[in-house]
Order: sequence, then C-alpha cells, then structure tokens
Amino acid sequence: MSIATPRAAGSVRRPRLSKRRRQEALWFYLFVSPWIIGFLVFLLGPMLSSLYLSMTDWDSFTPAKWVGFDNYKTLLTKDPVFWKALWNTCYYAAISVPLSLLLGLWFANLLNKQIRGRKLFRTLIYLPTLVPLVATAMIFKIVLAPHGPLNQLLGLFGIEGPDWLLEEAWVKPALVVLSVWGAGSATVLFLAAMRGIPRELYEAAEVDGAGPVRQFWSITVPQLTPIIFFNLVMGLIAAFQVFSQVYVITGPNLRGGPNYASTTVVMLLFDQAFSFFHMGYASAISWLLFLVILGFTIAAFQTARRWVFYESEVK
Amino acid sequence: MMVATISTPLESTSDPAEHQRRRSGGRVGAFRASPFTYATLMIVTALLSVPLVFVVSVALASDQTVNTNAFTILPSAFHWENFVRVFSSSLPMQRFLLNSIIISTGAVAGQVLSSGLVGYAFARLRAPGKNVLFMVVIATMMIPTQITMIPQFILFKELGWVNTFLPLIVPNFFSNAFNIFLMRQFVSRLSREMDEAAMVDGLGFFGVYRRIMLPMLTPALIAIGIFTLTATWGDFMGPLIYLNDESKMSLALGVQYIVSTSQAAQSPPWNLVMVGSILLTAPMIAVYYLGQRYLYEMDITGGSAGIK
Amino acid sequence: MTSDGARVTRRGFLGMGAAAAGIITLTACGADSGGGSGKSGPLAMTVWGGEPDRVTYQKRLDLLVAKYPELSVKLQIIPSDAYAQKVQTMIAGGSGPDIMEVAENVNSYSSRSQLLPLDDRIKAAGIDMTKSFGSIGSIYSYKNQTYAVPDRSGAEIVYYNKTLFTKAGLTPPTADWTWQDAENALKALTVPGKQWGYGGAAWWPSWWSFAYQNGGKIIDPATGKPTVNSPEVVEALAWVGGLMAKGYIPTKQEYADMGADVGGDQAFASGKVAVNTTGFWAIANLLKTDVEWDIAPMWRGKQQAVSAFGSGLSISRTSKNPDAAFKAIAFLTSAEAQKVIIDTGQDVPASIEVQTSDAFLKPSWVTKTVDMKAFGDSSAFVYRAPFIAEWNEMQKAIDNVTANFWLGKQDAKSTLDALQKQLETIIKPAS
Repeated sequence: MSIATPRAAGSVRRPRLSKRRRQEALWFYLFVSPWIIGFLVFLLGPMLSSLYLSMTDWDSFTPAKWVGFDNYKTLLTKDPVFWKALWNTCYYAAISVPLSLLLGLWFANLLNKQIRGRKLFRTLIYLPTLVPLVATAMIFKIVLAPHGPLNQLLGLFGIEGPDWLLEEAWVKPALVVLSVWGAGSATVLFLAAMRGIPRELYEAAEVDGAGPVRQFWSITVPQLTPIIFFNLVMGLIAAFQVFSQVYVITGPNLRGGPNYASTTVVMLLFDQAFSFFHMGYASAISWLLFLVILGFTIAAFQTARRWVFYESEVK
Repeated sequence: MMVATISTPLESTSDPAEHQRRRSGGRVGAFRASPFTYATLMIVTALLSVPLVFVVSVALASDQTVNTNAFTILPSAFHWENFVRVFSSSLPMQRFLLNSIIISTGAVAGQVLSSGLVGYAFARLRAPGKNVLFMVVIATMMIPTQITMIPQFILFKELGWVNTFLPLIVPNFFSNAFNIFLMRQFVSRLSREMDEAAMVDGLGFFGVYRRIMLPMLTPALIAIGIFTLTATWGDFMGPLIYLNDESKMSLALGVQYIVSTSQAAQSPPWNLVMVGSILLTAPMIAVYYLGQRYLYEMDITGGSAGIK
Repeated sequence: MTSDGARVTRRGFLGMGAAAAGIITLTACGADSGGGSGKSGPLAMTVWGGEPDRVTYQKRLDLLVAKYPELSVKLQIIPSDAYAQKVQTMIAGGSGPDIMEVAENVNSYSSRSQLLPLDDRIKAAGIDMTKSFGSIGSIYSYKNQTYAVPDRSGAEIVYYNKTLFTKAGLTPPTADWTWQDAENALKALTVPGKQWGYGGAAWWPSWWSFAYQNGGKIIDPATGKPTVNSPEVVEALAWVGGLMAKGYIPTKQEYADMGADVGGDQAFASGKVAVNTTGFWAIANLLKTDVEWDIAPMWRGKQQAVSAFGSGLSISRTSKNPDAAFKAIAFLTSAEAQKVIIDTGQDVPASIEVQTSDAFLKPSWVTKTVDMKAFGDSSAFVYRAPFIAEWNEMQKAIDNVTANFWLGKQDAKSTLDALQKQLETIIKPAS
C-alpha cells in the first residue's frame, strides 16, 4: 500500500516513493545485484567492445581501422549472402518455434494424465535433448539420407521423400525436423508448471460438464500462458541464433549449402570471423541480428499483455 | 489446502499430487488416461527413439561397417569392445570425468543460488527502472556468443583466469538471463496471499523468499539445475578456449578428440564417436531420471486454492 | 508440506553453499599462476587432430626432449574443426602458441604478420629445404619469405582394386598413364549399375591435379591473379565431366543408393569402385577390408603433377622464445623425428629421406603388401599449390559455385567462368 503525498496543482513531479516503497526498491536492487555485478564485469565490456568493433575493419591481430558504418552499409546493400541468411533464419524460427511449442504442450498434456509408466515416457521424450549435438547431427545426417530411415518411413505411407540435405528446397525443412526432435525441452517446463494448477479448477469444470478437451483449452492452457510465453521468447532468441547443428549436419562439403540454402546468420558470422578474419564485419552482423531479435521480442512482449495470464504479476 | 472428497483408496502413494489426482479419481476428464493416450504416447516415443536406437547401433558397429557406411538402424553386430577401446585411449578420460564433475557442480550451485533471488525480485518487488533493467537482461541473450568470445577471453586473460576453471564456473554465480526469466515466470504464477500474510507477520523480503518462496520454487530450481548441468556437461567450446593443460580438460572435450581426425577428408571413427556420446549422455540420463520426482511431483500450489 | 519443503531447502541451501565454497577452493588450487610462458617456461605447441595424432606428436616431442633436455614443450591438441577459432583467440589475446601447426591457410596468418619469417633461422641451422623436402620445400612461403617448415606431406595417390583390374584384363596404373590410358581403363572397369571405374574428383585436390597436369594453374604465381577459366583448366575439368557423363563415376543418386553418406572412399572399401584418388589416410581403414588393393602414383596429363596433403610448423608472432621454438622445429622436421610419423601410421613425413627409407617402405603396421614407394615417387612432381592469403574465401567460393557442375547440371566452361568472376572479387593480386 503506498501513500501518495499531496502535490501542488499543476506540478509534474513524480510522487515521492513512500518509505516502504523505497525499502522495497532497495531490496529489489540488493536481490538483483548478483546479476548486475556479473553483467558489469563479464558482459558489458565485451558487448561494448563488439559494438565498437562493428564499426572497424579488424582481423583480430592487427590494430582495428575505423570505418564508421561501412560494414553495415555493405551488409545491407552489397553482401550477396546476408539477406539470404536472414531469410533462412527467419524461416527456420517462424516454423520450428511454434511447432515445438505446440508439440511440447501436447506431449505435456499427455504426460500429465494418470498413466502407468509415466516416468519412462517422460524420460524418453526428454532424452533427445540430452544427446550431444555432434552425435545428434551425425545421426540425423544418416536418418535424412535419401534412402535413410525417414524416407523409408514415408515410403510406408506411399510418400517419396526428397533428398533432404542435398536439395536446396528441402534442407531447411530438414533442419526443422531436427529441431522438432528436441521438443522435449519445452515439454519439461510445461509439465513442471502443470503440477501447479489446482485440481479444484478441473473438478469444478468437470462438475459443470466440461470434457477433457474443453478442460485443456480453458484451464490448462491459460494457466500455462506464462510458461508458454517463456518458451516462445526463449525459443525465438535461440532459433535466430541457430548454428552448431546446422554446421555439423551440412558439413563437411555442403556447409551452409547447397547454394547457401542453409546458411544461417550466425553461420555467416562465424565464417566471417574465424575463416575470413573479418571480425569487424562479423560484429556488425551480430548487431544487426541483435536488432532483428530485439524487434521480435518486443513484439512478443507487447502482445503478451493480451494473452498471458499471471496469477499475481507485479508491474 | 486439500479439498476433502470421498475416494476409494487404491494402492497408497506418497506423492501428494498423485493423491490429489486419485481423489479426483477418474472423475476428472483432463487426467483420464484413455487407450488413445497410451497409443499416442507409444507412437510418439517410438518415433523419437528411433534415432537413439540408431546411436546404439552405430556404437556397436564394426570398423568395417564404419568404413563402408553400411549402418543399420537396429544393431546388427555387437562389438562391445568399442566401449573398452574408448577407455583405453591414451587420453586421461577419468581425469576428464572428474574435471567435468567439478565444473558442472560449481556451475549448478552458482545458478541455483543466484537465479532464485534475482527471479523472485523481478516478479515480486517493485522498483523504479525495473522494466528497463529486465529488458536489458533479456537483451543480453540476443548477442551470439561467437562475437563476445574474443573480448571475453582478453578480459579473463587480464584477470589471470586463463587455464583455470574460473571462467567456466564463476560467471554462474551471477545468474543468467535464461534462468532469471524462467524464475520470474514461475514466481508470477504463484499467488501473493501467503507473501502478504507473512509480511504482515513481520517477515522481511528475504524471509519471505527463504521460507515461503523457495519451497514452492523447488521444481523451477531443479529445472534450472538440470538445464545448467546438461549445458555445462556437454560444453566443449568453453573448456577448449580457456583450458590449455590437458589435465584440466573436460569430458566433452575428450569426446571431441575421438571425433577428430587430422585430415579434413578423413571420416571419423563413427562407432567410437557414438560410444563417446553415449558415455557423455549416460550420467545426464541418470540425473534426470532421479530428479524427475522433484520436478514434477511436488505440490507447489501450497496455500490458496487459486480461485479468487 | 511447506515446513518439510523448507527443511529440505534449508539443508539443501547449506549444502550448496558448502559445495560452492569447496568448488572455488578446488579451482583456486588448480589455478595456474596466470601469465604466459616466460623465458624459462615450456614452449606451447598447438596441433590439430585426434588421439592418434596426439600419440605421434608426443612421441616426437619425447625424442626432442631426450636430445635437448633444456627444451620443454607442452603439446596442445585441438579438435580440427575448432583449431582456427582457438588459435585465433590465443593470438588475439596475446598468448599465441610458440609452435603452431599450419596447412593450406598458412598465409591467412602470415599476410597479417602473425607468423615469424624463418629464412634467417633456416639458413643459420643449415637446413636445405629443397634437399630435405623436395618440391614442397618452399610451399609455406609468402612474398618470398618462408613461414613454416614442412612436417607432413603425402601426395594424393591412386588406390586400385587388384581383383577388378585382373578381371578386366588390365595392368595396374602407373605414373606414366596418360589421360587416355586412364579413361580406357575406367571404361573397362565400369559395369553399369554394379561397378564403377572411378570414385570421383569432386574434391579440389583431385581436379586441381588434372588442371595442373594439363598445364593450367589455379592462381598465376607471377601475377597472383586467379586463372581458373584458362583453356587448360577448363579442358581438365571438362575431362572429369566427361568421365561423369559417360557413367564411369557414380552419380550422386547412385552413391545415395549405396548407402547413407557413401562417397568414393566407402565405395572403394566395399569393392563397388575400382579406382579412388585420395590421400595416405585411407590405408589404415582399407587394411581391415577384404578388398585386394594396392596404390600407385597419380597418372599424368601433358605434364606430371599431383596435389599433396600436409602441414608445416610455424612460430607465431607472440612467441617469447622464438629461438627455442625454432630449435624444436628443426629437430622435429629432421629425419630422426620424422620417422615416428610413419612408425605410428599417422601420415607421410615430409622428409624425402624418410619417404625413401626402408622404415617407410615397409612399416610394421602395414599388414599387406602395399607399394609405399608411390609416395616417394610422387614427391618429385607435387605441384606448388597456391596458398594465397584468401585461401578460406576461395574454398568457400569453389564449393558453392561448382556444386551444380558436380551434380552434372552445368558444363565446365560456364562453371569456371562464374568461378573466375567470383574469385576476382575475392582475391587481391599480390602487389
């Protein structure tokens, strides 16, 4: 409860915080101080440094040469690959993130029921995310081979699968398939959160005659919206920075290919930084990516107000 | 507060949420397990498991199969000696294992200790500039690590931390954006009534955090612990960049050596690669299997029924 | 429930705190006293590879220390994919390695002055590069200064399936075979749908061999400009294209039908392809198969020329002990230390003396009769590869632009014209 101090008419000064609010603010900053200290010491310097470097021509070794916004200009107007990479990355994010969310929700709902062998099912669904990336990518290279298991499976349904990793049009869907295999990580959080949904809500709904589907959409989902939101934002941020698995699965001959179809922004950045020694240029790429991700995240936060239901958020 | 209902007790269970569920019984549709549920789950897990079976199949394959890429999905040969081969490498794998344990434990401890505090503050406490600060927190996740790698290396070099575990462990004591956001979301789902009651009773903010919040946040903290553990356990880039002594390297890095060959065109020994991956993953599976109980089966509703 | 939970958490809390304190102490104990190697510290040597490489390099370093006890070298082996990143971070951070393994992209570093020129030291040590290493002696040089001493160097060689050759009534390939001889043989060895003559030449060392054999060059050494669409190179690439079109090389589809991720190496190991051109490393795997095979030097075109695979040892600019580092390099690249390379089966040593020695011709781990002389013979005509400063960019361009050619969708001339255009934007001629 805050007691507002009376103000003179016409003054635009913010109300002074009450003693209690000031105390609360102090405690806030105290609790948050570990992160702030860590940020100032470990992150801020490197981040500012990379911002500076993005306006230079730097090969990591010799002194950096100031070039102002040239890197950005070249990226946006002259680089043949940048826009392609951005498109590839957006495509991947726009499809893999919602898909993982939906699957995660679906699996979590199934796993939340009274079933025997719950522990086993839960483990099997989460297991894929525990396997190291190198192994995953290599296995999927074989799974996605023209006569590999996936196409064999499709063949059972009479569908002739494409050369997933060899054709321009199909390499991105292949990456989406790979990401979907890891839907278990979204499932874990949903399932953990589902535990906190009071049973009484379901019982009341049952009494009112709602079936399981209705209960899912009217009770479970709204209660989970904070976690859905979390997975959405985290998923987007991660998807836009996808790199390692693409690097391994399209290697060693068609890295980022065929014909740049699987080149993501971070892969482009990596090549520029560590293969071609254009650290400044790569930094510019990373800051452009930052702006893109920031844009989408802010959009997500803005729309969140409408659909995310918090029990008790303090604004 | 548990709603009293009449129920037919089945076998007893110590899991309180399961208690709840059984009390609601098969009466509540959302929890009723139909044959459809089982069928779907079995198909889904079967599909997800095919690549995993494949991993095992390759791990047990012979060198000749590796040479001709004649892999089969189901194991067709059982060369268990591949496991022995990985251990009999001249690399000090046991030492690597120990190092990985040290690094991961330190990282988990750090994240669990710090993330709860910071996430709670963002969800419950009011302060000017809070929203801006939160956006900064989120923004730190949007810069790819490849770009900050060299400046951070130089930073740690100035601190004299290169070739130690410090760069891999210490930053975790200052939490990270992912965990802060996660905690904030979890805390926001909990009702404020107990906090407020406790504060009226004279508990300060930290008291509320320790006595009221923490118990209810245990699943979230366990989740953070598991995520941090799997991330650091499988991370080889960090150890690669910061560690120069072989005796300090991590298991993930050791497995990378098995993958690696010195000629670009040479095919790695895939069977050994998969063995290494299995060895790397097995502890994580064990941790997850054992930790599941705390993740999913603790009653965190504690307190109000949630209906306002 | 709450109190139970709180008790658990409190205990857990204290436990975590204790663990954390313990961890920090442990790590402090494991801490180096920071700082790089001083005057008396060990030399840091970075190499890439896996287990077998580590074993070999360490053995050679043990020999070094036995001979020069005042030297001490700490070997850092780095997974190949991450080598460039690690080394770049080290150098950028001011703690670059004393001894650094380098290969084709050596001049990305030397052109940025990150490696020390070694000519004076080489002269002072009395090393005759041409005598010791043959035509590749000066391969790691930039603007007439030498930056690395060759350490490993094996030519690309021809693996051939003895059984299939006998069945087709052919004599084994030799260095004197012309393109026509080779083509005739490949034709005879091809049974449509079942067996193919040649594994393929999609990898740059393979088709570059043919380009140089035809008198063409990828980069003109005199001007530093790319010349990939010169008539000679086009003719060479077109020849390979012809082999593909005539069905002597499996198409991508046919490879895919053989199994997942199967290429020339795997097809040769399973007896489906009669001839495969690749490097030394295939020997170890092939010894385990049932195929009856042997090796021979690469055939010739108008001239004799063949690609080679290898690496050299250099000294990074930030080294505090360049004299000691060079002493180590000089020993490691001498015949005595080079012998270990073939003893463990790691690679082909760059030293000509070792390549032609008995230890090389009959290594203990080669369980079949293999004509190891092919390597020594090939050394005589390894062409001088263009290790330009923009090597990595060039490779990326080649991969992308030639992709359609290898799928049989584009002809050699238009492919190389497109490649020439891209390379011209990438490569700044050495002034």
